[in-house]
Amino acid sequence: MNGQSSQQQPKDGRHDDDAALTEFLASLMDYTPTIPDELVEHYLAKSGFQCPDVRLTRLVAVATQKFIADVATDALQQCKARQSAVIKDKRDKQQKDKRLILTMEDLSKALREYGVNVKHQEYFADSPSAGLDAASREE
Amino acid sequence: MSDGDGKDTVKFLSEKENLLSKRKKKRLGTDEFAQAIARIAVAQVCESLGFQSFQQSALDTLADVGVRYIRELGKTALAFANLANRSQCNVFDVIQGLEDLGSVQGFSGASDVNHPLSGSGVVRDIIRYVCQAEEIPFAYLLPVFPVVKERTLNPSFAQAEENPPDEHIPSWLPKFPDPETYVDLSSGNEKDTEKEVVNKNQQVEEQHIKVERPLLNLQQKLICNGSEAGIAVEQVDAAKAQRAAESNPFLAPPIQFGEKEVSVPALPAKLSDDTLGYHQSCEVLESNLLALEPSLQANEAAASGPCEPQDSRKILLNGRPNIHFKFGNRKKSLGMVTSPRNEGIEKSSLWFGDDCDEIDKKRRRAEKVLWENTEYPPEASYL
Repeated sequence: MNGQSSQQQPKDGRHDDDAALTEFLASLMDYTPTIPDELVEHYLAKSGFQCPDVRLTRLVAVATQKFIADVATDALQQCKARQSAVIKDKRDKQQKDKRLILTMEDLSKALREYGVNVKHQEYFADSPSAGLDAASREE
Repeated sequence: MSDGDGKDTVKFLSEKENLLSKRKKKRLGTDEFAQAIARIAVAQVCESLGFQSFQQSALDTLADVGVRYIRELGKTALAFANLANRSQCNVFDVIQGLEDLGSVQGFSGASDVNHPLSGSGVVRDIIRYVCQAEEIPFAYLLPVFPVVKERTLNPSFAQAEENPPDEHIPSWLPKFPDPETYVDLSSGNEKDTEKEVVNKNQQVEEQHIKVERPLLNLQQKLICNGSEAGIAVEQVDAAKAQRAAESNPFLAPPIQFGEKEVSVPALPAKLSDDTLGYHQSCEVLESNLLALEPSLQANEAAASGPCEPQDSRKILLNGRPNIHFKFGNRKKSLGMVTSPRNEGIEKSSLWFGDDCDEIDKKRRRAEKVLWENTEYPPEASYL
Protein backbone atom coordinates (compact mmCIF):
# COMPACT_ATOMS: atom_id res chain seq x y z
CA MET A 1 0.00 0.00 0.00
CA ASN A 2 2.70 2.34 0.93
CA GLY A 3 4.58 1.41 -2.13
CA GLN A 4 1.51 1.89 -4.24
CA SER A 5 0.77 5.26 -2.75
CA SER A 6 4.36 6.33 -3.20
CA GLN A 7 4.18 5.17 -6.73
CA GLN A 8 0.95 6.95 -7.35
CA GLN A 9 2.28 10.36 -6.48
CA PRO A 10 5.09 10.27 -9.00
CA LYS A 11 2.62 8.90 -11.50
CA ASP A 12 0.36 11.84 -10.84
CA GLY A 13 3.33 14.10 -11.20
CA ARG A 14 4.17 12.47 -14.47
CA HIS A 15 0.62 12.78 -15.59
CA ASP A 16 0.75 16.42 -14.78
CA ASP A 17 3.95 16.80 -16.64
CA ASP A 18 2.61 14.89 -19.57
CA ALA A 19 -0.53 16.91 -19.54
CA ALA A 20 1.41 20.09 -19.40
CA LEU A 21 3.56 18.98 -22.28
CA THR A 22 0.60 17.98 -24.35
CA GLU A 23 -1.07 21.27 -23.64
CA PHE A 24 2.02 23.13 -24.54
CA LEU A 25 2.44 21.34 -27.80
CA ALA A 26 -1.13 22.06 -28.66
CA SER A 27 -0.67 25.70 -27.83
CA LEU A 28 2.33 25.81 -30.10
CA MET A 29 0.10 25.55 -33.07
CA ASP A 30 -1.40 28.91 -32.15
CA TYR A 31 1.91 30.54 -31.44
CA THR A 32 3.94 31.51 -34.48
CA PRO A 33 7.66 31.46 -33.78
CA THR A 34 9.78 34.11 -35.38
CA ILE A 35 11.94 31.50 -37.05
CA PRO A 36 9.84 30.23 -39.92
CA ASP A 37 8.83 26.61 -40.15
CA GLU A 38 10.27 26.13 -43.62
CA LEU A 39 13.74 27.16 -42.50
CA VAL A 40 13.64 24.85 -39.50
CA GLU A 41 12.40 21.96 -41.60
CA HIS A 42 15.15 22.54 -44.15
CA TYR A 43 17.92 22.38 -41.59
CA LEU A 44 16.37 19.50 -39.70
CA ALA A 45 16.10 17.55 -42.92
CA LYS A 46 19.76 18.33 -43.59
CA SER A 47 20.74 16.75 -40.31
CA GLY A 48 18.53 13.70 -40.82
CA PHE A 49 15.73 14.54 -38.46
CA GLN A 50 12.60 12.86 -39.70
CA CYS A 51 9.22 13.68 -38.26
CA PRO A 52 5.99 14.49 -40.01
CA ASP A 53 4.60 16.15 -36.91
CA VAL A 54 4.48 19.91 -37.24
CA ARG A 55 4.44 20.43 -33.50
CA LEU A 56 7.92 19.04 -33.16
CA THR A 57 9.30 21.45 -35.73
CA ARG A 58 7.53 24.23 -33.87
CA LEU A 59 9.12 23.01 -30.65
CA VAL A 60 12.55 23.12 -32.25
CA ALA A 61 11.84 26.56 -33.66
CA VAL A 62 10.77 27.89 -30.31
CA ALA A 63 13.77 26.33 -28.59
CA THR A 64 16.12 28.00 -31.08
CA GLN A 65 14.36 31.29 -30.67
CA LYS A 66 14.75 31.05 -26.94
CA PHE A 67 18.44 30.25 -27.33
CA ILE A 68 19.05 33.24 -29.57
CA ALA A 69 17.04 35.47 -27.32
CA ASP A 70 19.13 34.40 -24.35
CA VAL A 71 22.37 35.12 -26.18
CA ALA A 72 21.10 38.46 -27.41
CA THR A 73 19.94 39.42 -23.94
CA ASP A 74 23.37 38.69 -22.54
CA ALA A 75 24.95 40.75 -25.30
CA LEU A 76 22.55 43.58 -24.56
CA GLN A 77 23.49 43.51 -20.92
CA GLN A 78 27.14 43.66 -21.90
CA CYS A 79 26.47 46.62 -24.15
CA LYS A 80 24.55 48.48 -21.47
CA ALA A 81 27.24 47.75 -18.91
CA ARG A 82 29.86 49.19 -21.24
CA GLN A 83 27.81 52.30 -21.85
CA SER A 84 27.21 52.94 -18.18
CA ALA A 85 30.94 52.65 -17.57
CA VAL A 86 31.62 55.62 -19.86
CA ILE A 87 30.93 58.67 -17.75
CA LYS A 88 33.11 61.19 -19.51
CA ASP A 89 30.87 63.47 -21.55
CA LYS A 90 27.20 63.81 -20.75
CA ARG A 91 26.48 64.56 -24.37
CA ASP A 92 28.20 61.42 -25.57
CA LYS A 93 26.37 59.30 -23.05
CA GLN A 94 23.04 60.56 -24.19
CA GLN A 95 23.91 59.90 -27.77
CA LYS A 96 25.10 56.39 -27.02
CA ASP A 97 22.06 55.56 -24.93
CA LYS A 98 19.87 56.01 -27.95
CA ARG A 99 21.82 53.57 -30.07
CA LEU A 100 22.22 50.02 -28.91
CA ILE A 101 24.40 48.17 -31.36
CA LEU A 102 25.09 44.47 -31.42
CA THR A 103 28.86 44.33 -31.70
CA MET A 104 31.19 41.41 -32.10
CA GLU A 105 32.83 42.10 -28.77
CA ASP A 106 29.60 41.83 -26.81
CA LEU A 107 28.48 38.86 -28.83
CA SER A 108 31.69 36.94 -28.30
CA LYS A 109 31.55 37.56 -24.57
CA ALA A 110 27.93 36.42 -24.43
CA LEU A 111 28.54 33.33 -26.54
CA ARG A 112 31.51 32.25 -24.49
CA GLU A 113 29.19 31.36 -21.63
CA TYR A 114 27.23 29.12 -23.93
CA GLY A 115 30.33 27.24 -25.00
CA VAL A 116 30.69 28.94 -28.38
CA ASN A 117 34.11 30.47 -28.86
CA VAL A 118 33.97 33.28 -31.35
CA LYS A 119 37.14 35.18 -32.01
CA HIS A 120 37.20 37.89 -34.62
CA GLN A 121 40.04 39.97 -35.93
CA GLU A 122 40.51 43.30 -34.32
CA TYR A 123 41.27 44.95 -37.62
CA PHE A 124 42.48 44.22 -41.10
CA ALA A 125 45.57 46.19 -42.05
CA ASP A 126 44.36 47.08 -45.51
CA SER A 127 44.21 50.84 -45.13
CA PRO A 128 46.11 53.44 -43.16
CA SER A 129 43.29 54.05 -40.71
CA ALA A 130 42.77 50.39 -39.85
CA GLY A 131 42.52 49.68 -36.17
CA LEU A 132 42.51 53.29 -35.11
CA ASP A 133 38.88 53.68 -34.18
CA ALA A 134 37.10 50.39 -34.65
CA ALA A 135 33.73 51.26 -33.09
CA SER A 136 33.06 54.37 -35.12
CA ARG A 137 34.28 52.71 -38.31
CA GLU A 138 31.81 49.85 -38.16
CA GLU A 139 28.84 52.16 -37.75
CA MET B 1 46.00 63.05 -39.12
CA SER B 2 44.27 65.96 -40.71
CA ASP B 3 40.60 65.97 -41.49
CA GLY B 4 41.25 65.77 -45.20
CA ASP B 5 43.20 62.57 -44.84
CA GLY B 6 40.58 61.07 -42.60
CA LYS B 7 37.85 61.72 -45.14
CA ASP B 8 39.87 60.15 -47.87
CA THR B 9 40.49 57.04 -45.85
CA VAL B 10 36.83 56.79 -44.95
CA LYS B 11 35.92 57.08 -48.61
CA PHE B 12 38.50 54.47 -49.47
CA LEU B 13 37.07 52.19 -46.83
CA SER B 14 33.53 52.60 -48.05
CA GLU B 15 34.59 51.79 -51.58
CA LYS B 16 36.40 48.73 -50.40
CA GLU B 17 33.40 47.61 -48.41
CA ASN B 18 31.24 48.06 -51.47
CA LEU B 19 33.59 45.92 -53.47
CA LEU B 20 33.66 43.30 -50.75
CA SER B 21 29.90 43.28 -50.49
CA LYS B 22 29.64 42.96 -54.26
CA ARG B 23 32.05 40.07 -54.15
CA LYS B 24 30.01 38.50 -51.39
CA LYS B 25 26.86 38.85 -53.44
CA LYS B 26 28.48 37.24 -56.43
CA ARG B 27 29.72 34.31 -54.39
CA LEU B 28 26.59 32.21 -54.17
CA GLY B 29 27.00 29.25 -51.87
CA THR B 30 24.66 26.35 -51.72
CA ASP B 31 22.87 27.65 -48.65
CA GLU B 32 22.71 31.36 -49.33
CA PHE B 33 18.95 31.60 -49.35
CA ALA B 34 18.47 29.76 -46.08
CA GLN B 35 21.22 31.72 -44.40
CA ALA B 36 19.71 34.99 -45.52
CA ILE B 37 16.38 34.00 -44.06
CA ALA B 38 18.06 32.99 -40.83
CA ARG B 39 19.72 36.37 -40.69
CA ILE B 40 16.39 38.15 -41.04
CA ALA B 41 14.76 36.00 -38.37
CA VAL B 42 17.60 36.56 -35.92
CA ALA B 43 17.52 40.29 -36.60
CA GLN B 44 13.83 40.33 -35.79
CA VAL B 45 14.42 38.51 -32.53
CA CYS B 46 17.18 40.91 -31.52
CA GLU B 47 15.12 43.91 -32.46
CA SER B 48 12.31 42.79 -30.19
CA LEU B 49 14.78 42.71 -27.33
CA GLY B 50 15.88 46.28 -27.81
CA PHE B 51 18.78 46.34 -30.23
CA GLN B 52 18.55 49.16 -32.71
CA SER B 53 21.26 48.24 -35.15
CA PHE B 54 23.76 45.50 -35.76
CA GLN B 55 27.25 45.03 -36.95
CA GLN B 56 27.12 43.02 -40.14
CA SER B 57 29.63 40.45 -38.93
CA ALA B 58 27.90 40.12 -35.55
CA LEU B 59 24.56 39.46 -37.20
CA ASP B 60 26.12 36.90 -39.52
CA THR B 61 27.77 35.17 -36.60
CA LEU B 62 24.62 35.01 -34.53
CA ALA B 63 22.60 33.71 -37.46
CA ASP B 64 25.22 31.06 -38.11
CA VAL B 65 25.17 30.03 -34.47
CA GLY B 66 21.38 29.76 -34.59
CA VAL B 67 21.53 27.58 -37.69
CA ARG B 68 24.11 25.34 -36.07
CA TYR B 69 21.89 25.04 -33.04
CA ILE B 70 19.03 23.77 -35.16
CA ARG B 71 21.25 21.28 -36.92
CA GLU B 72 22.83 20.08 -33.70
CA LEU B 73 19.41 19.63 -32.16
CA GLY B 74 18.24 17.60 -35.11
CA LYS B 75 21.36 15.45 -35.08
CA THR B 76 21.12 14.77 -31.37
CA ALA B 77 17.43 13.96 -31.52
CA LEU B 78 18.06 11.56 -34.36
CA ALA B 79 20.85 9.91 -32.41
CA PHE B 80 18.55 9.36 -29.44
CA ALA B 81 15.88 7.92 -31.71
CA ASN B 82 18.36 5.53 -33.28
CA LEU B 83 19.52 4.50 -29.85
CA ALA B 84 15.94 3.51 -29.05
CA ASN B 85 15.79 1.46 -32.24
CA ARG B 86 13.58 3.91 -34.08
CA SER B 87 14.09 5.81 -37.30
CA GLN B 88 11.54 8.54 -36.67
CA CYS B 89 11.98 11.02 -33.85
CA ASN B 90 9.40 11.82 -31.23
CA VAL B 91 9.03 14.55 -28.65
CA PHE B 92 11.13 12.80 -26.04
CA ASP B 93 14.04 12.59 -28.43
CA VAL B 94 13.79 16.31 -28.95
CA ILE B 95 13.63 16.95 -25.23
CA GLN B 96 16.67 14.80 -24.65
CA GLY B 97 18.46 16.71 -27.37
CA LEU B 98 17.52 19.97 -25.71
CA GLU B 99 18.86 18.73 -22.43
CA ASP B 100 22.08 17.71 -24.12
CA LEU B 101 22.57 21.14 -25.61
CA GLY B 102 21.38 22.92 -22.53
CA SER B 103 23.76 21.10 -20.27
CA VAL B 104 26.42 23.71 -21.01
CA GLN B 105 24.42 26.49 -19.47
CA GLY B 106 22.57 24.27 -17.09
CA PHE B 107 18.90 23.93 -16.30
CA SER B 108 16.96 23.08 -13.21
CA GLY B 109 16.77 19.39 -12.49
CA ALA B 110 19.79 18.52 -14.59
CA SER B 111 21.47 16.66 -11.79
CA ASP B 112 18.48 14.45 -11.20
CA VAL B 113 19.29 11.39 -13.27
CA ASN B 114 15.90 9.76 -13.04
CA HIS B 115 13.78 12.77 -13.72
CA PRO B 116 10.89 12.34 -16.12
CA LEU B 117 11.46 13.85 -19.48
CA SER B 118 8.10 15.47 -19.81
CA GLY B 119 8.70 17.45 -16.68
CA SER B 120 12.21 18.39 -17.65
CA GLY B 121 13.66 21.74 -16.80
CA VAL B 122 14.19 22.66 -20.42
CA VAL B 123 10.56 22.18 -21.22
CA ARG B 124 9.55 24.37 -18.36
CA ASP B 125 11.96 27.04 -19.49
CA ILE B 126 10.55 26.96 -22.96
CA ILE B 127 7.02 27.17 -21.68
CA ARG B 128 7.99 30.14 -19.59
CA TYR B 129 9.61 31.80 -22.54
CA VAL B 130 6.61 31.29 -24.75
CA CYS B 131 4.33 32.74 -22.16
CA GLN B 132 6.28 35.93 -21.59
CA ALA B 133 7.72 36.63 -25.05
CA GLU B 134 5.71 38.53 -27.58
CA GLU B 135 4.74 36.78 -30.71
CA ILE B 136 6.59 38.11 -33.72
CA PRO B 137 5.77 36.37 -36.96
CA PHE B 138 8.40 36.18 -39.63
CA ALA B 139 8.46 39.22 -41.88
CA TYR B 140 8.10 37.44 -45.20
CA LEU B 141 6.08 34.67 -46.70
CA LEU B 142 8.23 31.73 -47.53
CA PRO B 143 7.74 28.96 -50.03
CA VAL B 144 8.69 25.43 -49.15
CA PHE B 145 12.33 25.18 -50.03
CA PRO B 146 14.43 23.72 -51.49
CA VAL B 147 12.13 23.44 -54.45
CA VAL B 148 12.14 19.99 -55.96
CA LYS B 149 12.05 20.04 -59.73
CA GLU B 150 9.84 17.46 -61.35
CA ARG B 151 11.81 15.29 -63.70
CA THR B 152 10.30 13.46 -66.60
CA LEU B 153 12.07 10.17 -66.56
CA ASN B 154 12.63 8.18 -69.69
CA PRO B 155 10.17 5.30 -69.84
CA SER B 156 11.50 1.82 -69.42
CA PHE B 157 10.95 -0.99 -71.85
CA ALA B 158 8.22 -2.42 -69.69
CA GLN B 159 6.48 0.93 -69.33
CA ALA B 160 6.57 1.57 -73.03
CA GLU B 161 5.39 -1.98 -73.61
CA GLU B 162 8.23 -2.71 -75.93
CA ASN B 163 10.40 -5.74 -76.12
CA PRO B 164 14.06 -5.05 -75.59
CA PRO B 165 16.02 -5.79 -78.76
CA ASP B 166 18.32 -8.37 -77.21
CA GLU B 167 17.96 -11.01 -74.57
CA HIS B 168 20.62 -9.62 -72.32
CA ILE B 169 18.75 -6.33 -71.80
CA PRO B 170 16.18 -6.51 -68.98
CA SER B 171 12.87 -4.84 -69.51
CA TRP B 172 13.08 -2.53 -66.52
CA LEU B 173 15.88 -0.53 -68.09
CA PRO B 174 15.01 2.67 -69.93
CA LYS B 175 14.26 2.54 -73.58
CA PHE B 176 16.84 3.16 -76.27
CA PRO B 177 16.49 6.57 -77.91
CA ASP B 178 14.89 6.80 -81.35
CA PRO B 179 17.24 5.70 -84.10
CA GLU B 180 16.59 8.92 -85.95
CA THR B 181 18.43 10.88 -83.34
CA TYR B 182 21.76 9.24 -83.86
CA VAL B 183 21.90 7.97 -87.46
CA ASP B 184 23.98 10.03 -89.94
CA LEU B 185 22.06 11.42 -92.88
CA SER B 186 23.90 10.84 -96.16
CA SER B 187 21.73 13.13 -98.28
CA GLY B 188 21.55 16.90 -98.04
CA ASN B 189 23.77 19.82 -99.10
CA GLU B 190 24.70 20.86 -95.64
CA LYS B 191 25.96 17.46 -94.80
CA ASP B 192 28.09 17.41 -97.94
CA THR B 193 29.80 20.65 -97.13
CA GLU B 194 30.41 19.43 -93.66
CA LYS B 195 31.94 16.30 -95.01
CA GLU B 196 34.16 18.25 -97.35
CA VAL B 197 35.38 20.37 -94.52
CA VAL B 198 36.01 17.24 -92.53
CA ASN B 199 37.93 15.73 -95.41
CA LYS B 200 40.02 18.84 -95.81
CA ASN B 201 40.85 18.80 -92.17
CA GLN B 202 41.85 15.21 -92.43
CA GLN B 203 44.04 15.97 -95.42
CA VAL B 204 45.75 18.79 -93.62
CA GLU B 205 46.32 16.51 -90.69
CA GLU B 206 47.80 13.90 -92.95
CA GLN B 207 50.06 16.50 -94.42
CA HIS B 208 51.18 17.54 -91.01
CA ILE B 209 52.04 13.98 -90.16
CA LYS B 210 53.76 13.36 -93.44
CA VAL B 211 55.80 16.50 -93.24
CA GLU B 212 56.83 15.74 -89.73
CA ARG B 213 58.12 12.35 -90.63
CA PRO B 214 60.75 13.52 -93.13
CA LEU B 215 61.84 16.18 -90.66
CA LEU B 216 62.51 13.53 -88.09
CA ASN B 217 64.33 11.44 -90.62
CA LEU B 218 66.45 14.39 -91.55
CA GLN B 219 67.49 14.95 -88.01
CA GLN B 220 68.42 11.35 -87.54
CA LYS B 221 70.47 11.28 -90.68
CA LEU B 222 72.28 14.44 -89.81
CA ILE B 223 73.18 12.91 -86.55
CA CYS B 224 74.57 9.85 -88.28
CA ASN B 225 76.42 11.43 -91.13
CA GLY B 226 77.63 14.73 -89.79
CA SER B 227 77.63 17.33 -92.48
CA GLU B 228 76.51 14.95 -95.16
CA ALA B 229 72.87 15.84 -95.25
CA GLY B 230 71.13 13.12 -97.15
CA ILE B 231 67.55 14.03 -96.89
CA ALA B 232 64.86 11.63 -97.86
CA VAL B 233 61.90 13.61 -98.84
CA GLU B 234 60.45 11.07 -101.22
CA GLN B 235 57.52 10.36 -98.98
CA VAL B 236 56.05 13.81 -99.38
CA ASP B 237 54.18 14.51 -102.58
CA ALA B 238 55.13 17.71 -104.27
CA ALA B 239 51.58 18.93 -104.43
CA LYS B 240 50.84 18.29 -100.82
CA ALA B 241 54.10 19.83 -99.81
CA GLN B 242 53.24 22.93 -101.72
CA ARG B 243 49.84 23.09 -100.10
CA ALA B 244 51.41 22.71 -96.69
CA ALA B 245 53.97 25.35 -97.48
CA GLU B 246 51.26 27.74 -98.50
CA SER B 247 49.29 27.20 -95.36
CA ASN B 248 52.07 27.14 -92.85
CA PRO B 249 55.67 28.08 -93.56
CA PHE B 250 56.91 26.05 -90.62
CA LEU B 251 55.53 22.91 -92.17
CA ALA B 252 57.31 23.38 -95.46
CA PRO B 253 59.75 20.58 -96.31
CA PRO B 254 63.31 21.37 -95.43
CA ILE B 255 65.64 22.69 -98.12
CA GLN B 256 68.04 20.14 -99.46
CA PHE B 257 71.77 20.52 -99.23
CA GLY B 258 73.11 22.64 -102.03
CA GLU B 259 69.74 24.15 -102.98
CA LYS B 260 70.40 27.44 -101.36
CA GLU B 261 73.61 29.38 -101.42
CA VAL B 262 74.79 29.90 -97.90
CA SER B 263 77.78 32.07 -97.17
CA VAL B 264 80.60 30.31 -95.41
CA PRO B 265 81.39 31.89 -92.07
CA ALA B 266 84.74 33.70 -92.22
CA LEU B 267 87.10 32.88 -89.44
CA PRO B 268 88.40 35.97 -87.71
CA ALA B 269 91.97 36.89 -88.58
CA LYS B 270 92.83 36.88 -84.95
CA LEU B 271 92.54 33.14 -84.80
CA SER B 272 95.17 32.42 -87.40
CA ASP B 273 97.79 34.57 -85.65
CA ASP B 274 97.36 33.06 -82.24
CA THR B 275 99.84 30.76 -80.56
CA LEU B 276 99.71 27.03 -80.61
CA GLY B 277 98.56 26.95 -77.05
CA TYR B 278 95.35 28.65 -77.91
CA HIS B 279 94.70 26.20 -80.72
CA GLN B 280 95.32 23.36 -78.41
CA SER B 281 92.90 24.74 -75.91
CA CYS B 282 90.29 25.16 -78.64
CA GLU B 283 90.75 21.58 -79.62
CA VAL B 284 90.36 20.52 -76.06
CA LEU B 285 87.11 22.44 -75.86
CA GLU B 286 85.81 20.78 -78.95
CA SER B 287 86.65 17.30 -77.82
CA ASN B 288 85.15 18.06 -74.48
CA LEU B 289 81.95 19.21 -76.06
CA LEU B 290 81.82 16.27 -78.38
CA ALA B 291 82.27 13.80 -75.59
CA LEU B 292 79.37 13.20 -73.25
CA GLU B 293 79.59 13.70 -69.55
CA PRO B 294 79.15 10.07 -68.61
CA SER B 295 81.98 9.12 -70.89
CA LEU B 296 84.06 11.84 -69.31
CA GLN B 297 83.36 10.54 -65.89
CA ALA B 298 84.01 6.99 -66.96
CA ASN B 299 87.35 7.90 -68.36
CA GLU B 300 88.60 10.14 -65.63
CA ALA B 301 90.28 7.24 -63.98
CA ALA B 302 91.70 6.06 -67.26
CA ALA B 303 92.88 9.48 -68.43
CA SER B 304 96.45 10.24 -67.59
CA GLY B 305 96.15 13.95 -67.28
CA PRO B 306 92.74 14.90 -66.06
CA CYS B 307 93.89 18.19 -64.62
CA GLU B 308 95.28 19.48 -67.86
CA PRO B 309 91.99 19.72 -69.70
CA GLN B 310 90.58 21.55 -66.79
CA ASP B 311 93.32 24.14 -66.97
CA SER B 312 92.78 24.54 -70.65
CA ARG B 313 89.11 24.90 -70.01
CA LYS B 314 89.90 27.79 -67.73
CA ILE B 315 91.96 29.43 -70.45
CA LEU B 316 89.08 28.98 -72.80
CA LEU B 317 86.75 30.98 -70.63
CA ASN B 318 88.87 34.03 -71.24
CA GLY B 319 89.17 33.47 -74.96
CA ARG B 320 86.38 33.34 -77.53
CA PRO B 321 86.52 30.19 -79.60
CA ASN B 322 84.65 29.65 -82.84
CA ILE B 323 81.05 28.61 -82.92
CA HIS B 324 80.65 25.02 -83.97
CA PHE B 325 77.36 23.42 -84.78
CA LYS B 326 77.11 20.43 -82.55
CA PHE B 327 74.78 17.64 -83.55
CA GLY B 328 73.89 15.89 -80.38
CA ASN B 329 75.55 12.55 -80.43
CA ARG B 330 73.64 10.20 -78.23
CA LYS B 331 75.97 7.31 -78.71
CA LYS B 332 78.16 6.84 -75.73
CA SER B 333 81.66 5.82 -76.55
CA LEU B 334 84.15 4.69 -74.04
CA GLY B 335 86.91 5.60 -76.42
CA MET B 336 86.46 9.35 -75.99
CA VAL B 337 89.13 10.61 -73.63
CA THR B 338 89.29 14.22 -72.61
CA SER B 339 92.96 14.89 -73.08
CA PRO B 340 93.95 14.97 -76.71
CA ARG B 341 97.59 15.10 -75.80
CA ASN B 342 97.67 11.43 -74.99
CA GLU B 343 99.25 9.48 -77.75
CA GLY B 344 97.16 6.51 -76.95
CA ILE B 345 93.90 8.12 -77.88
CA GLU B 346 93.69 6.84 -81.36
CA LYS B 347 94.83 3.42 -80.27
CA SER B 348 92.24 3.21 -77.50
CA SER B 349 89.52 4.38 -79.80
CA LEU B 350 90.36 1.58 -82.12
CA TRP B 351 90.09 -0.91 -79.27
CA PHE B 352 86.54 0.00 -78.46
CA GLY B 353 84.89 -0.81 -81.69
CA ASP B 354 82.99 0.81 -84.45
CA ASP B 355 81.04 3.29 -82.45
CA CYS B 356 83.97 5.60 -82.36
CA ASP B 357 84.46 5.72 -86.09
CA GLU B 358 81.68 8.16 -86.68
CA ILE B 359 82.73 10.28 -83.77
CA ASP B 360 86.27 10.33 -85.05
CA LYS B 361 85.13 11.27 -88.49
CA LYS B 362 83.13 14.12 -87.08
CA ARG B 363 86.01 15.29 -84.98
CA ARG B 364 88.42 15.23 -87.86
CA ARG B 365 86.01 17.07 -90.06
CA ALA B 366 85.50 19.72 -87.42
CA GLU B 367 89.22 20.00 -86.99
CA LYS B 368 89.64 20.47 -90.69
CA VAL B 369 87.23 23.37 -90.58
CA LEU B 370 89.04 24.83 -87.66
CA TRP B 371 92.54 24.38 -88.96
CA GLU B 372 91.90 25.51 -92.49
CA ASN B 373 93.71 28.75 -91.97
CA THR B 374 96.35 27.59 -89.63
CA GLU B 375 99.90 26.83 -90.63
CA TYR B 376 100.65 24.25 -88.04
CA PRO B 377 98.69 21.06 -88.24
CA PRO B 378 97.42 19.66 -84.97
CA GLU B 379 99.65 16.61 -85.08
CA ALA B 380 102.67 18.74 -84.50
CA SER B 381 101.30 19.91 -81.22
CA TYR B 382 101.40 16.46 -79.74
CA LEU B 383 104.49 15.96 -77.75
